Amino acid sequence: MKIPITLQIALLAVGMTGFYTLVGQAVPQKEVHPPEVIEVAANVTTAELVEIGRTVFEGKGICQTCHTIGKSGALRFPDLQGIAERAARQRPGYTQLDYLAESLYEPDAFIVPGFVAGMQPANRPPIGLSDVEILAVIAYLQTLGGAATVTVDTKFVYTGGAREQDAAEAATEAVADAAGSEDEEPSDLASGEAAEAEAAGDRAGGDDG
Amino acid sequence: MSQKRPGVLLIGLGVLAFLAVIVGAWRLAVTIDDTMAFRAPTRSAPAVAETESGAADQGWTPREQALADEAAAQAEADRTKPYVEAEYRAVPRIGSRVAIWVVAQLHLLFAAFVLAVPMFAVVVEAIGLKTGDKRYDDLAYEFTKLLSVSFSLTATLGAGLTFMLIALYPKFTNYLMSVFSPTFLPYVLLFFAEAAFLYTYYYGWGKFGPKLHLFLGIMLNVVGTGIMFIANAWLTFMSTPSGVSENGALISTWDAVSNYTWMPINIHRIIANLAFGGSIAAAYAAYKFLSAKTQAERAHYDWMGYIGNFVAMCGLLPLPFAGYWLAKEIYAFSQTMGLTMMGGAFSWLFIIQAVLIGNLFLFANWYLWLAMGRIEGAARFKGYIWPLLVIVIACFAVWATPRSIIASTEEIQAMGGSSHPILGFLGVMSAKNTAVNIIILATFVSFLLYRRSNIIKTTARGAGIVKILQGLLILASAAIVIGYGIRGYFVDAATRIGFSVPQVSSVLFCMLFVTMLDAYLTRGAQATKTQWGRIRPISQYVLILLAVTFTWMMGLMGYLRSGLRLHWHVYGVIRDTSPDAFTPTLGYATKVVSSTVLIFFLMIGFVFWLAGLSGKKVGAEEEEQADAVANSTLGFGPAGAPATASASNTATASAASPPPGNRP
Repeated sequence: MKIPITLQIALLAVGMTGFYTLVGQAVPQKEVHPPEVIEVAANVTTAELVEIGRTVFEGKGICQTCHTIGKSGALRFPDLQGIAERAARQRPGYTQLDYLAESLYEPDAFIVPGFVAGMQPANRPPIGLSDVEILAVIAYLQTLGGAATVTVDTKFVYTGGAREQDAAEAATEAVADAAGSEDEEPSDLASGEAAEAEAAGDRAGGDDG
Repeated sequence: MSQKRPGVLLIGLGVLAFLAVIVGAWRLAVTIDDTMAFRAPTRSAPAVAETESGAADQGWTPREQALADEAAAQAEADRTKPYVEAEYRAVPRIGSRVAIWVVAQLHLLFAAFVLAVPMFAVVVEAIGLKTGDKRYDDLAYEFTKLLSVSFSLTATLGAGLTFMLIALYPKFTNYLMSVFSPTFLPYVLLFFAEAAFLYTYYYGWGKFGPKLHLFLGIMLNVVGTGIMFIANAWLTFMSTPSGVSENGALISTWDAVSNYTWMPINIHRIIANLAFGGSIAAAYAAYKFLSAKTQAERAHYDWMGYIGNFVAMCGLLPLPFAGYWLAKEIYAFSQTMGLTMMGGAFSWLFIIQAVLIGNLFLFANWYLWLAMGRIEGAARFKGYIWPLLVIVIACFAVWATPRSIIASTEEIQAMGGSSHPILGFLGVMSAKNTAVNIIILATFVSFLLYRRSNIIKTTARGAGIVKILQGLLILASAAIVIGYGIRGYFVDAATRIGFSVPQVSSVLFCMLFVTMLDAYLTRGAQATKTQWGRIRPISQYVLILLAVTFTWMMGLMGYLRSGLRLHWHVYGVIRDTSPDAFTPTLGYATKVVSSTVLIFFLMIGFVFWLAGLSGKKVGAEEEEQADAVANSTLGFGPAGAPATASASNTATASAASPPPGNRP
């Protein structure tokens, strides 16, 4: 029995589309869902913040689309293994926290040598992380080559706080002021403040170094 | 008198029917107040504030009272119901997104066809005008015959898509309208102009002077391209928005139009439309060839299929380069989006695309090799076919090799990672760029052999040296491509990406100069006849496979372009909060693409059928013309260059014949 031409063509078209559909089923299948809202309680510990940060990093923050952890060679974006240690000395005058915060809020402000600009601000669309989510990401990044120090109450320049470096400089000035006024009217409080400021200055200097 | 009676009777019946409608309408108008639902029945509508004693006075039972209260409460609720603007509406079972997806894709496929056919129809007509060979004019007309119904279907699907967008995504559609409202009037005016040029071009065939008719065709292309440019602004804005604030407020309409991917998409679509339209026209010719009853018909449709495929290949070869530009602009707009495309959720889509493009090249070469069977002197080139086949399949295999492999944990441990220790090296960009350039070069060599196959003797001076030069150019190009491909493994990514430029340039340079040399070589050459219609029927099935593959690839790449927005209507500006905001799996997407492709072929089959009906009244003169084609050397190239004596004779014969009977 001779199959009509129209039917032959129809069968050919169905067969070919069927084949391509099969190819489509053979590749890995992954549904990409919109990011969920991440609730961060006011009393989370730093360790919990790190875990939240990891979740944001791997999901909603889409950080892994561009960044790698523990890879070397020709990379499009900097590898983040050891970022905690590098962030402290990457940019003169910046503490680790200042550097990480700026990297997320204003990524084009400083480009790591050897790379080109391309990252989008994490707090604006299409990524659009909240301040506390960014704080959690910073906590997680601090664990990559260091230890997390931020808490849910940590403030930085983008969330109404001051830059740590500025705070350190202010502390140094306070120390100098305190030293100048010691001759006039010594005070325990002033000595205490100066000691704290000096300590803060040492920390900041150490981080930058 | 007897002939007038039915007419009078019909007029009388018409008047009676008209009166009946008037009377019916009047009666409805009179009675409508008593029957409309919002008017409460006299008995069952006590006022809300009516007291129980009042009800008791009226002798209502408790049940009647309860029903009345319920009705009154409902009436009050209806009266005070607040207006809430719908953000989304759902389509049962398949969902809004799939409904829009299918209709939009069908609209785009038909629009691509309607935009593509006039491009090559005008070129074919111009060749006919320049050479004086009327068969080119006839071929251009036959291509145009497919346009009329397709244009109507495009417009219908476009209207359907607009209504569905308004109904299913009202808030988002309203936003797009607010941004692009200044473009609507030009769009509508261009649409009217397109309709005017299309129908005057089609129905005016043979009625206007040839130059005026050609002008109409050119204008049809100009306005059609203008329409596409405007529509492209809307859709590219959704992926790479500009000209609006972070909150979506319009700052500049022109900036919104000329966003990052607007011009790359414009160029990419012009080329892709050409490839797609050529393949669909070739499929039409294949269908007609297979259904042909006479050798003359087979000859005609064999030629038409060849031209259609030639057009498709002309579009296919530069398409990857237009794709590079588009991808580059996507990266320039957002590295995140670029990496989502190439290294994220959509990376595996390019493996599917590799299978499709590999098939396209395989089928294109196969068709050319089969087509050599219609040329008397082609036998001497048969020895080249096997090596070319091996090269094409090898490149296909490299291109379709994924970098990482789906494997069990044990298998991954055994391999030392998700990449195969040996095959993994073929999955990287260096290997893939090399493969695609070599496959393009191999296809070009196939075409060159086809062009050469009917040349018996060349008369060009220094023919031997020119042939050696051609061979050296091809080998040098292949060496450059492979050399950079190998070197790409030993340099950093930024340098490696830059290697694609010399690779692509060498192939383009080679194709250009070898073609020029070939034109010199074959000018005035002694050629054998091309036996149009003497080709194995399987070649026509190959043309249909090409058309299916082109269509499927358009569907797949359309999904990629749209899907890249992920959970955004307008990337980074208007978020998709509908239940369909997620990005489906590739398996699901391919099912939708396949369904759309099959629906398209069902509809285009209807177009073919209608086009066939309009050709039923072919006169004897046209059959004679087709007989003339059967033994001519027509075509785009020396395998059918109309410069030979036989072509001149047939041209004279055709010019003497009257226009075909099927012209409007």
